[in-house]
Amino acid sequence: MLFTRMMEGNEAAAWGARLSRAEVIPVYPITPQTEVISHIANFIAREEMKAQYIKVEGEHTAMAAAVGASTAGARVFTASASQGIVFMEEALWMPPGRRLPIVMCMVNRSLAPLGGLRPDHNDSLLQRDNGWIQLYCENSQEVLDTIIMAYRIGEDRNVYLPVAPCYDGYFVSATATPTTVPDQAEVDDFLPPYKHEMYNLMPEEYEPIPFYRPIAESRYEVQQAHERAKRVIEEVDKEYERRFGRSHDGLLEEYACDDVDAVLLTMGSMTGTVRDVVDEMQAEGKRIGLLKLRAFRPFPTEELQKLAEGYHAIGVVDRNTSYGSAGGGIVSMEVARALYLLEEKPLLVNFHVGLGGSDVTMRQVRYMAGKTLEAVEKGRVDSMVDWVELKDLGEVM
Amino acid sequence: MSQIVRSFRPVVDLGKCIKCGLCQTFCPEGTVMLKGGEEVVFDYRFCKGCGVCANECPSDAISMVREA
Amino acid sequence: MGLNSLFDEYYEKSFIQGGTTCCPGCGGPLLWRIILEILGSKTIIYGDGPCAMCAVRNIKLPNFNLHFSFIADTATGVVAALAAKGREDITVVSSGGDGATADISLGKVSAAAERNENMIQICVDNEAYMNTGIQKSGLTPYGAWTTTTPLGKEAPKKDVPMIIAQHNVPYVTTASVAYPKDLQAKIRKAKGTEGFKYIHVVIPCPTGWRFNPAKSVEVVRLGVQAWAWPLYEIEEGFLRLTLKPRQRPVEDYLKAQNRFRHLTDEQIQYIQGEVDRKRERLLEFDGKRIIL
Repeated sequence: MLFTRMMEGNEAAAWGARLSRAEVIPVYPITPQTEVISHIANFIAREEMKAQYIKVEGEHTAMAAAVGASTAGARVFTASASQGIVFMEEALWMPPGRRLPIVMCMVNRSLAPLGGLRPDHNDSLLQRDNGWIQLYCENSQEVLDTIIMAYRIGEDRNVYLPVAPCYDGYFVSATATPTTVPDQAEVDDFLPPYKHEMYNLMPEEYEPIPFYRPIAESRYEVQQAHERAKRVIEEVDKEYERRFGRSHDGLLEEYACDDVDAVLLTMGSMTGTVRDVVDEMQAEGKRIGLLKLRAFRPFPTEELQKLAEGYHAIGVVDRNTSYGSAGGGIVSMEVARALYLLEEKPLLVNFHVGLGGSDVTMRQVRYMAGKTLEAVEKGRVDSMVDWVELKDLGEVM
Repeated sequence: MSQIVRSFRPVVDLGKCIKCGLCQTFCPEGTVMLKGGEEVVFDYRFCKGCGVCANECPSDAISMVREA
Repeated sequence: MGLNSLFDEYYEKSFIQGGTTCCPGCGGPLLWRIILEILGSKTIIYGDGPCAMCAVRNIKLPNFNLHFSFIADTATGVVAALAAKGREDITVVSSGGDGATADISLGKVSAAAERNENMIQICVDNEAYMNTGIQKSGLTPYGAWTTTTPLGKEAPKKDVPMIIAQHNVPYVTTASVAYPKDLQAKIRKAKGTEGFKYIHVVIPCPTGWRFNPAKSVEVVRLGVQAWAWPLYEIEEGFLRLTLKPRQRPVEDYLKAQNRFRHLTDEQIQYIQGEVDRKRERLLEFDGKRIIL
């Protein structure tokens, strides 16, 4: 262990890239990601880190350069947010199809026009279909650990996929929490140098990349890689715990779920608030627990099914919107599909909260927990989705 | 390998040929060669019959003949 | 040795397989064959999508393609990876079509020039979006018919080599596949120069320019002789004409292509005036520094 101190999420991300020995780092600034790239610039300027740091002219170029560098055999790190992620969308489809294990932090921030500088999850969730692994982090420590793990996961020969550690702007990116920075030698032991087995651009070893391949077959391979990634994510987490003494529960974390009737399912920074409220409410005798969804891609269908059999209701907290959807937010629709095959299905309650980065308050969490427990009591759900922020909670509490 | 569909094929009259090699230089596909600096040969597996070699030939030694 | 194996050996040596999926008479494979001879085996090539892919995928050296919105930036990543691995002995060539270079990726080419990335950036200019079926690009010349300019293009061609030259990069040049020795000399110079090298090459497109494929090389040669395609290089800011042909009327060049057949005499006169003006300026600046 090198040291432990209070650290903002963005600095932790920079440490993650540094300890992982990223070799090529194409960057373009955007709030709230900027400190990630300025910390890395300082690491390099102080000669504490050796990397090709490319100051590109836009996010599309950042991802394009990442694709070029990764294809040519370098370990690549970059980070972006919000409009930047959407601007690089075209390029974001390249790494999964080409099986390039690039790591990019997606620092969540809401999208214009109906957003601002603060976070919700629509920017990263918009990328849910393009093949990136997405792991949502709750605090600085998890950001740092997840980046190191991300390279192990993405560069696993059974996976070869890009990984996006996602974390909320401001609530994680700019909030200092106690963070332990591991020793470089320990990380080196855990993470061997990058070598892609599928292709090599070096003239001496070059083999042509097959041009014509059945498209459905290639896509199925990416899908299968995601299936295999579930096991790899769990295994890497366990090994990380053995070596560094910290686990982040792989795909899905069950918190205080012994003997509960219902759970709230969360992603990202709001999880911390929900932990506190769950503790409080359990002390009051309320049978509510917490499920933290860490991996949104690959979606832990089987794991969720297994756990869901033990609850009467799941309250999915969606920090995103999907206008005109089949019902509610993006996470709730994924959960609904995962649970559809169960014979004994828990009730599915859905909430929109924290949109555009507004605070998810303890009062709101209490309200959501109450509504979920109420559904258990009534044996039915009143509305498809509950826009919590539009409620005057002063009256209902 | 797919069969190249070609309407014309280049044929050389070695009597007229001055061995300048311009046909080899300018063939877009690289399917013409001045073999040993002496004999113009064509790779009919890949020649598309565009006629650039015939057009660039300074001594009109190459003619384009309709394929049967 | 049989003829087939003789040719197979030749393709191996020239680093490009004959029998591309390009149209007959296309200048693309010709361009690559001319320049690969100089680039040699220690080269990584990036090519954009559409037409270029038809030629690039026949290249026997490390190469890959993304779409045409990825010009100069993907190669930037390759350059960085090579630097990280201490493989500066490898030449990185990034190529893009005219639409890619002048339109959708102009900002990227400009940024790579500003960063002085150590690569050879080639603009493979056939003066329109050809693979989509002949649509106007920023490098389509004034008056040319395309399917999106049925009455002829209203605006002149962007002067991309001059735009890039103003980034003060070590080497900018124009070239033509009708002058292979000149083109090869320029590639040799670019290969031996550190930093960002920009090479703007005209290639003929019989399909899009509407002429008999046999005339491919003849037509681009006419363009050079008419000074519609002046050949020059800008080295460390100094301009030098590499060919000063006796000027032919631009009409000879225009009449050789049916994309210009609707032009009126006045329009042809206007084009001649523009060509003359440009020629005079080039002759005036020949041997002088043109960067402010």
